[in-house]
Amino acid sequence: MDKRDESVLEIRDVTKIYKTKGAFFGSSGKDVTALNLISFDIFKGEIFGLVGESGSGKTTVGRLIVGLENVSSGKIFLEGREIIGLRGRARKEFRREVQMIFQDPYQSLNPQRSIYDTVSEPLKIHGMGNASTRKDLARETLHAVGLSPPDDFLFRYPHRLSGGQRQRVAIARAMILNPEFVIADEPTSMLDASISAQIFNILLEMRSRLGVTQMFITHSLAAARYLCDRVAVIYRGNLVELGPAEEVIRNPKHPYTQALLDAVPKFGHDRDARRYGSLLTKARDAEEDVGCVFFPRCAAADEDRCGRKHPNLSPFGDGHLVACFRLEAMHEA
Amino acid sequence: MTLLEVENVSIGYNTKKGYVKAVEGVSFSLEEGGSLGFVGESGCGKTTIGMALMGLLPPNGSVSEGRILFDGEDTLKMSDEEIRKIRWREMAMIFQAAMNALNPVQRVGNQIAEAILVHDPSIGKEEAMGQVEALFDLVGIPRDRLRDYPHQYSGGMKQRAIIAMALACHPKLIIADEPTTALDVIVQDQILGEIKDLQKEFNLSIIFISHDISIVADMCKDIGVMYAGQLVEFGPREEVFESPAHPYTKALLSSFPTVTGKKSDLIPIPGETPNLVIPPAGCRFCDRCSGPGPSCKTETPEWVETGPGHKTLCCRC
Repeated sequence: MDKRDESVLEIRDVTKIYKTKGAFFGSSGKDVTALNLISFDIFKGEIFGLVGESGSGKTTVGRLIVGLENVSSGKIFLEGREIIGLRGRARKEFRREVQMIFQDPYQSLNPQRSIYDTVSEPLKIHGMGNASTRKDLARETLHAVGLSPPDDFLFRYPHRLSGGQRQRVAIARAMILNPEFVIADEPTSMLDASISAQIFNILLEMRSRLGVTQMFITHSLAAARYLCDRVAVIYRGNLVELGPAEEVIRNPKHPYTQALLDAVPKFGHDRDARRYGSLLTKARDAEEDVGCVFFPRCAAADEDRCGRKHPNLSPFGDGHLVACFRLEAMHEA
Repeated sequence: MTLLEVENVSIGYNTKKGYVKAVEGVSFSLEEGGSLGFVGESGCGKTTIGMALMGLLPPNGSVSEGRILFDGEDTLKMSDEEIRKIRWREMAMIFQAAMNALNPVQRVGNQIAEAILVHDPSIGKEEAMGQVEALFDLVGIPRDRLRDYPHQYSGGMKQRAIIAMALACHPKLIIADEPTTALDVIVQDQILGEIKDLQKEFNLSIIFISHDISIVADMCKDIGVMYAGQLVEFGPREEVFESPAHPYTKALLSSFPTVTGKKSDLIPIPGETPNLVIPPAGCRFCDRCSGPGPSCKTETPEWVETGPGHKTLCCRC
């Protein structure tokens, strides 16, 4: 697996700790570890899925990459260049190369700006083109995201657009700078199924036509399966499994991934699809912050090992990484 | 025995933009102990039906025609006082935004006890609290959380408390409107499992409203597919999902990613849902349909029977 030189993004041992304020007087609050020593690479031209439940830290990863928040420790590289602590011109250049699409298109667009203003603003900020080339590029980009004819949309305001159309505008705004890397944070969780599929297909087309590398943050394994080449599963700030999307979903190794797949409602012939039964119905008591993060809810856990030590992400064949002692034991045997 | 019979009901809202026909000509019936799911996208009228059944339409909304027979009585002809008596005791609703459905400044146990006391004043406070404890056991909340405030609960526990409240007066019918939309998939699975168990235990009738086909398929024996205010397909779950008849149902199924089976391309439905202030003539799905006929745009579609208990509103089927 020597694809390291093709990596667009490298994340190394990134930890994010939020300090809570605590009470007015007296002791300070408890620290909350949102991300615990996360490492992964995203390869050129791929769509990488980050799957987790709410509060798992998946959005925090995206926010750290674009610099909306600062890491507590660890390093992030874009095309071999460290991006933490970039200043001045280098930072501005980085901001052009990395773009983000947010979850809620009802909040991410400024209601007082026309679609043209919104989509062309990044060009102005980066001093690209003149008024007429900017307008041409805005037209072209709107057309590319399926808002056509573009002239119908250029001077409308967000309130006249549906949710799906708004999200297309947000995508156009991210795409107009021709970025290297785009982070899409649950771009369809506010949209209906039929509209979600439209957005998925736009993201896929962006990759096939322009070769844009993407990170897709989602809570849905089904969406990740459809869209992504590789997926990473994150649970309470820890990566527990990473691998080719189809492999992780067909052949999940970590008990948490198995529990997620069990919980997805299935229909048709698969209604009674096999259950892994890896989730404890009643969580067991466990000491905090020692041992495996999934230990309190894991049906297969071994009290001695899993409750005391933290398993590392280890390779399990063909780019499939899993953080579970049970597997290590199986592998060694 | 038929518990609920809805005949040709239309519901509309007066808005600034004009009169919106949110639901038009919907008919269905529900047996005692049966389960019926409505699936459709936002704005298709599925929540409006739930609200109308409960007699909880907002002031600008009203049922313009049709009959709703609950246990043989027309609820639309009842006075506010009469409907208040059957609401919660006979039929209860689990609301969409469970997070906000609890009173934040009252202890959860007391809120549920209050629901019991209001509807049955003959019960003493002690007895009501006892019933609440039993309800907590039923929905899987530890008894020592009775005196907590809602903010001390997780999302899943709040949803369980709402279900406990819906069950408080032993209703015959429960209307669940997207009860798990805001929850994570593992918690959702647990809550859905609990609703299923409770349904069996008390022989409840359930109307389940969701935008998520897979949940409705999992929960309900009968499925109604709604589009732009109309019921467009109705039938037993197996029929509807294995041999969908209406082009909208087919499109909806093929735009939905799954974790099982072969990975296939998603086919999005082009375009947007029509404006219900001026609904299009003819078939409402016509503009987005993959194979419309020449008459679809002008002719009002009729119900066609495509299988046992399976019917669809389409000229081409």
